[in-house]
Amino acid sequence: MVSRRDLLRRGSACGLAAALPDALADAAGMPAPHIDDPGNPLAGYPHRGWEDFYREEFAATRGDSQGFAFHCSNCQGNCAFRVFARDGVVVREEQLAQYPQIRAEIPDPNPRGCNKGTIHSQSMADADRLHWPLQRVGRRGEGRWRRVAWDAAIDAIAAKVVDTMVQHGPGAIMLHAGTGIVSQGKRAGPLRLGSLLGAQRLYPSSAVGDMFTGASLAYGIPNVGTSLDAWFEMDYIVLWSFNPSTTRIPDAHYLWEAKWRGARIVVVSPDYNPTAIHADLWVPIAPGTDSSLAMSLVNVVLAEGLVDEDFVREQTDLPFLVREDDGRLLRLADLREGGRDDVFYAWDEAKGKAQPMPGTRGHFRKTLRLGALRPALSGRWEVQGADGRPIAVTTVFDRIRAEAAKFSPEATHAHTGVHPDVVRRLAREFAAARDPGITVGFSLHKYAWGILACWAQALLCALTGHEVVDTEHQWSLGGIGPLSSPKPARFGSGFYGEWMAGRMWESFRRHHGRDGDFARRAGIAPEALVELAARASERKWTSYWGPPRVRLMFADNIFRRNKAASGYRRAVLDATELYVDVNTRMDSSAEFADFVLPATSHYEGWDLRGEVGYHRYANLTMPPPGLKPVGESKTEWEICSLLAARIQQIAKDRGIGPLPDPDFVVERDGKQQPVTRDLDILHDEFTMLGRLKTDQDVVRWLLDNVPAFQRWKLDDVVRNGYLPLNTQAGLTSPLYADRPYRSFEEQRHLRKPYPTLSGRQQFCIDHELFVQLGCSVPTAREPLHPARWPLRFYSPHTRWGIHSTWRTNKYMLRQQRGVPHVNLNPDDAATRGIADGDTVRVFNDVGEFRAMAKLMPGLRPGTLTMDHAWEPHQFARRQGMDEPVAGLLSPLELAGGWGHLRFGAEWDGNQLANESSVDVAKV
Amino acid sequence: MSRRQLAMVMDLNKCLGCQTCTSACKTQWTNRRGRDDMLWNHVETQPGRGYPRDWRGSGGGFDGAGRLRPGRIPDRARDYGAPFEVNHAQALNPLGALARPTAPHLGPDTPPSFGPGWDEDQGAGAYPNSWFFYLPRICNHCTNPACLAACPRGAIYKRDEDGIVLVDQKRCRGYQHCIGACPYKKVYFNPTFGRSEKCILCYPRVEQGLAPACAQQCPGRIRFVGYLDDEAGAVHALVTRWRVALPLHAEFGTGPNVYYVPPLSPDKLDDQGRPTGERRIPDAFLVELFGPRAPEVLGVLQAEREKRRRGEPSALMDLLIAYRHDEIFRVSRRKGAT
Repeated sequence: MVSRRDLLRRGSACGLAAALPDALADAAGMPAPHIDDPGNPLAGYPHRGWEDFYREEFAATRGDSQGFAFHCSNCQGNCAFRVFARDGVVVREEQLAQYPQIRAEIPDPNPRGCNKGTIHSQSMADADRLHWPLQRVGRRGEGRWRRVAWDAAIDAIAAKVVDTMVQHGPGAIMLHAGTGIVSQGKRAGPLRLGSLLGAQRLYPSSAVGDMFTGASLAYGIPNVGTSLDAWFEMDYIVLWSFNPSTTRIPDAHYLWEAKWRGARIVVVSPDYNPTAIHADLWVPIAPGTDSSLAMSLVNVVLAEGLVDEDFVREQTDLPFLVREDDGRLLRLADLREGGRDDVFYAWDEAKGKAQPMPGTRGHFRKTLRLGALRPALSGRWEVQGADGRPIAVTTVFDRIRAEAAKFSPEATHAHTGVHPDVVRRLAREFAAARDPGITVGFSLHKYAWGILACWAQALLCALTGHEVVDTEHQWSLGGIGPLSSPKPARFGSGFYGEWMAGRMWESFRRHHGRDGDFARRAGIAPEALVELAARASERKWTSYWGPPRVRLMFADNIFRRNKAASGYRRAVLDATELYVDVNTRMDSSAEFADFVLPATSHYEGWDLRGEVGYHRYANLTMPPPGLKPVGESKTEWEICSLLAARIQQIAKDRGIGPLPDPDFVVERDGKQQPVTRDLDILHDEFTMLGRLKTDQDVVRWLLDNVPAFQRWKLDDVVRNGYLPLNTQAGLTSPLYADRPYRSFEEQRHLRKPYPTLSGRQQFCIDHELFVQLGCSVPTAREPLHPARWPLRFYSPHTRWGIHSTWRTNKYMLRQQRGVPHVNLNPDDAATRGIADGDTVRVFNDVGEFRAMAKLMPGLRPGTLTMDHAWEPHQFARRQGMDEPVAGLLSPLELAGGWGHLRFGAEWDGNQLANESSVDVAKV
Repeated sequence: MSRRQLAMVMDLNKCLGCQTCTSACKTQWTNRRGRDDMLWNHVETQPGRGYPRDWRGSGGGFDGAGRLRPGRIPDRARDYGAPFEVNHAQALNPLGALARPTAPHLGPDTPPSFGPGWDEDQGAGAYPNSWFFYLPRICNHCTNPACLAACPRGAIYKRDEDGIVLVDQKRCRGYQHCIGACPYKKVYFNPTFGRSEKCILCYPRVEQGLAPACAQQCPGRIRFVGYLDDEAGAVHALVTRWRVALPLHAEFGTGPNVYYVPPLSPDKLDDQGRPTGERRIPDAFLVELFGPRAPEVLGVLQAEREKRRRGEPSALMDLLIAYRHDEIFRVSRRKGAT
């Protein structure tokens, strides 16, 4: 062995590399090297001139021009970046990190960003990038293409659109912008064109299963809660079915800063995930049993008298009277012939009689203020019905207490696996906390009973007087309508539309239809559910416009996302005469298109994004000046504009005038008239008579017209890269400049009614389906995984992509296993003879796929998981991870036509990803 | 020893394992010029094999007598994982240039058998008492660098003004003695140019007053950067005053200048699923990594956190919260103490 000094001496003496070629000198144009003795390099070093080598590289990564950007993928992070370009090519990006601190007591949000956004400069040049329009020449999906000119592609597509409109009406067209573009700028083109044409589009939130339906039941809107900096103010934070260290990378720091501020952090999840590792308490729960745990928490709060009675009396429907005979809310219509059905009652202890509650939809007083009313929370009374006969009534509160009594912590232990002591501790600590919060993730509602779990979580918050369950709150950017929706379009349910288009009942029947226990757990037999779904649109409970003949799809990876994947794909393609995919890269959906049109990626056009956000900033994308286009790619706005121009020309040439669209009626000259689809002036309408020629014009329009963007002008945003939203961005509270956002301040402090039928946080829903299924007040249900297959399969969000975006980048893949992998508990693997790294087959009666096995000690025995959103074309045989996932609907989410449960942005259901069972075997 | 030392403190309690640091470093330095498969910065799951594979047992550093211990040079394929390319063009034919796709599906051009994230989130233990944490790693810019000692060319040196350890890219001839000698295995070989390269603590950024990319771009805000002797800075406070930031494997004898605030962890659960009051990361493992003071530091963190919970002030918690992103970094020499 030699000492350091020995080595230094020896090193200085050897100099034997003099003959080797000097790559550095060659590469950097430096002179031939000196090789003389540097002396003691620990004390000083004489040859430091070479250090410019890395300095010059650094300068190169700063580029010769700069722009701003965010990433408009389906991540709600929306982080401001600076983009550096050199010689017209993007070389690097870095988070802007310039957001101001709103108050000295709250950490600033900087730098935000994540591993994907900071690699996009590399990914945008990956070899799956589309460069020019392609037309299919082989069979669909065969991968044989002909490069075509933009003009030729637009001509062919426009001609087909016109023919289809004329022959079959606007409903035969689907023009859909998926969640690959979620910014107000990029979406404007497809939304506006689709609106003018009257084309179908799906609700993206429900198509991807992101509806917080439990919150909609309680509050009338699905997205409520706080901006994520509010975590820093809380003292007790429950993260439920939510893994923000992976899925909210830009803002997760507020959690761990809150922990240092003294907050207790509790994580409820089946697996020991990257968020759980920093928690104070991890509550391992059996997947899909969340409603049981939530109801047990409610049980403890009620049993131990932890109820904030003043809060529930005023802010909830708990004092409302319920008929004992049919379990429905008592209405004016029950008491008076021809009376309204949206006026409700409570038992007034002051006057000793039933009194109508103010603030309900039908009550003339639009306030929650009770005045002299003293609504009873508990009791049984009789009121005189319209026919003179007595009606026995009780309260919603008593109904809830009776329901919750079924779910003691001991009673649910066997389902959830959570010990009663833990349940009691959680309930007590939550109730006693000064400022607690429950944040639930998007995966909760990908279980059948996420709706019930979330509703019970809302009830827990209400009973303890603690704000609302936080469901990934959103801003409300008003003022966009004239841009995105100048005419009514065919807005369809996302989850139901995909169920219908993909004939998903077929896989549902195979997987759940033969499960003898399904009816007991679901409260409805499998065939009855299929029938319920089949009738849901004709009953106007939901919205479905039939299978489109032409699909113009922007940034929507339908064949990656949808369940029972190849069955879905076959059904959709069979029904589609022309399928156009507008995309940045050849994803699993573009592969099957008839035309593929190349779109610009995140840094290459002008764009603005102010929602949906967890923070208060709208960010700008402004390409670095002089940026060269990637191939022949075009912005969504330009593509839509070209289509509109060509359609207008064809219509003019063929003398096609306004096409009446009798599905929509507007008032014109005092008369009810059908909307017309005016193809002959389509481009004039699309561009607002030439005002909106480019994506930059769109950004300017947004800045001029969105109230929440005022007082900022383009010059300000171009200088800063972002703008702070003003107070008007808040939906149910002002967005104060110096405080985190918290929903429903108007309801709590100004006593404005909630957007529910009762005008309050609502915990009794007497829609016929809810009554039929025994779910008219919050309750719990067992999950629907068929027991025939031993492993419950669920698919959490990944840290390595935003869904499929960035999923195929080599730098991302190299930090994983390079190939798709499923996660198994080591014991489950051992019993099957599976070792880490083996190739395995995951299968059930719906389908199968192959992947590498990864053994995870933090995975619950009896489960199999896989980070979601691998592209099917990344798997052997191109059979992706959704092959064995059966179609499934939560029956409650089919309800509609009642109170605040009417199809629209605030009420729609979810595709369910996490209720299929599988087995796994070594290949 | 250099006149001054720029150092980094990483609070492992705030690390998300998100690898934004890794991406930031990748685009700042290692996506070009033969460095494509290097990770000057990476985040590994511990316990685990780490990256390169089993680096903790790969030798190098100094023995008690100050003599270099022999060290193994990791094997490119086995220990780093063969860096693969992805067959986008062949599998997807996005330009329509091929008659049809020629690959059966999209994937690595060589089947990987190891990589920097191979054991991501695996850890140890058995459900529900499994455990892991994230350990981000860069070059430690050691006070007594074994790489420097091992270089037969005298081509590695420590800058006097900031203690950054550099491999002179003009003089290096790629003998790789430094790679074996580094006990952290944070020196890499550039096969294209036949030189050794490693983290340079972003000196070109630091010289312009910018924090290193990994720290500046860390969304978890876990990385404090500053001079050890800058008494006004968080690094000095955490390392010297509060003594809650500990070096990694100090027994390797190199005097590392990256310090870690060791991780707390959720309670273990008993066989009924009830919390036991015992941290699930075994103290013994933290002692192995961060030395004998690790349990004491966890005690300090908990005590200060409880103070903050009771509404009492805690300068330590305020430091770790780090209210302003730009104050996490004090890299300008002008700003520092002299």
